[in-house]
Amino acid sequence: MKKAPAFVSTLFISVFLLLQGCATTAQKTAGMRALMQSNQHQLALQEALKELDSNPHGVMENMNVGALRYIIGDYAASNEALEVAKLRVEELYSTSITEQAGATVINDETISFQGDRFEQVFIHLYMALNFINLGQLDSARVEILQAQVKMKEWGEPEDETPFMHYFSGIIFEMLGETDSATVSYRKAVSAYRTTEEKEGIGIPRQLQEDFLRSLASMRLWDEFKQYKNEFDMARYKPVSQKGKGELVVLVGNGMVPQREQKVFQTWAPALALNVRVAVPDYPYPSQTLNAIRIKVEDEYYETDTVANVDGLARAALSDNMAGITTRAIARAVLKKTSEKEVGDQHGFLGQLAMMVVNQSTEIADTRCWNTLPQSFELSRVSLPAGKYNVVIEVVSPAGVVIDRIHRKVSIVTGRKTLISKHWTSPQIRHANVTSQQVSY
Amino acid sequence: MLSKIMGRQLALLVISLSLIVTSGCNPTVTRVDSNAVTDLSGEWNDTDSRLVSREMIDDVLSRRWIGDFNRSRGKTPTVIVGTVRNLSHEHINTRTFIRDLERELINSGEVDFVASATERQEVRAERADQDLHSSEQTRKSMGNETGADFMLKGTINTIIDAVKGEQARFYQVDLTLIDLESNRKVWVGQKKIKKTIEKSGWRL
Repeated sequence: MKKAPAFVSTLFISVFLLLQGCATTAQKTAGMRALMQSNQHQLALQEALKELDSNPHGVMENMNVGALRYIIGDYAASNEALEVAKLRVEELYSTSITEQAGATVINDETISFQGDRFEQVFIHLYMALNFINLGQLDSARVEILQAQVKMKEWGEPEDETPFMHYFSGIIFEMLGETDSATVSYRKAVSAYRTTEEKEGIGIPRQLQEDFLRSLASMRLWDEFKQYKNEFDMARYKPVSQKGKGELVVLVGNGMVPQREQKVFQTWAPALALNVRVAVPDYPYPSQTLNAIRIKVEDEYYETDTVANVDGLARAALSDNMAGITTRAIARAVLKKTSEKEVGDQHGFLGQLAMMVVNQSTEIADTRCWNTLPQSFELSRVSLPAGKYNVVIEVVSPAGVVIDRIHRKVSIVTGRKTLISKHWTSPQIRHANVTSQQVSY
Repeated sequence: MLSKIMGRQLALLVISLSLIVTSGCNPTVTRVDSNAVTDLSGEWNDTDSRLVSREMIDDVLSRRWIGDFNRSRGKTPTVIVGTVRNLSHEHINTRTFIRDLERELINSGEVDFVASATERQEVRAERADQDLHSSEQTRKSMGNETGADFMLKGTINTIIDAVKGEQARFYQVDLTLIDLESNRKVWVGQKKIKKTIEKSGWRL
């Protein structure tokens, strides 16, 4: 009779230890997301900070802390966290041999998380928003330039994040650089077209107007006519901005979906049996979002969806799915083989222990920047100089206003005033949760 | 066969664990000369700031505007450093660059130098405080500040070309010396730096 010696005992101890730490990231961050969803952003931040303690240089952990600190209005601290994430992403540019090897025997979470490409671009978006809120417009400019370099370096138009180009144009306009704004709007138009199928949104109407307006101000009349036709805006005439300022409202709406674990059995011809495979998945369809509209004094203004983060996240996973599945099947075969051979040498207990080790380590990589909104909504309103009561209204699909966020803003001639906000639910608003207004 | 597979798995686990463990150890600190060139990321660093400021100040002080001013006014020009705007792709601490410029200008002995706009606020507050609290003999009076004759201001720009892990970074620093009375630009200086950065495709 085969004995279960020290080897099997070691395996059982390993099982115990592994079971402690083999929850998926989706499970580990579920509490944080639930708090965020219920508008308890300070408590969500505490949860995010606990995760950060366990991995201080982790990209995902710093992304989450950065996003939550942005929501709370602690912009400098948000940028500190996002800067760590940004630098780490640069460090992780190269592929790690040991991490890849680890992924083939343990699970995909042994590969350091660097975020999907759109998430890497959104680090710059959040940092730019933070800098604007801190009154450091030149530093916001640095962030948009860095995002542009990043997208250029990838050299793949379908991996561009169109809203980043659009937002760059707005920042250039804030800086008075109309020529650079025009270039950014042009790039945004092109990127929205290229990524329409993937992201699920076309060129926002607001961008079409902004691009035409900037072309007119640059007196690029041939291009102006060409795009007027392409946008089917034959009657469009740029409205004079003379003596006016502009209110720019950017609202992050809802929460990006969470990647979950999907487990299935698949036939492995090499072993002539079924193996268990765990892969990431978005099991639920996109949520129907509440609409956002802006009320300035008694006038209502619609918002445009300028970034469908939900679509970007699903597309990013879909792009990587073939590689993830192949790796998961190869790993499952390797693990099954090891179980059989441990069983042959150390008997049933050994095989059982090995099986538990393998199953408990076989988790799907559900890591993602899960504190992002489901979409970004934008509205731009030209207004004469003066003080205004602005209300961001959240309207349910049934047409009922479920939340109102009130702001008093000062509009200055020739300047832009930005209000940015991430809305998750109509709960009790805490005093320290802010949406910021900054004028340029 | 078993031992081979298990061996491989365990070896990878050990390597991974040892990497995690060693990466958590205390960092190694080595003191280096503050003038030593330390290019780590390829971004703008202290060496760039120091070299650019020195070269540009050498240039500004060797041009004819300084002699012209000395002859026409019979005194050394008084200069103030204004803003140096960072229009580059990096978060460059322009304050350290401005300090480098100031140091080079002051130490040259060729020009007088006055406090910047923000420094002046603090000095004025101190004088106002002296007005109330200091003795007649030691009190410094208002209205005796030295006005600058010229303002040095500029921009740092970059052009970055990047493709698949390779970057060519081109920095251009433009400084302009402006006559505060006439708005005349008496000197325009330019310094260019070019760097290439190649990221490795693989790591351990």
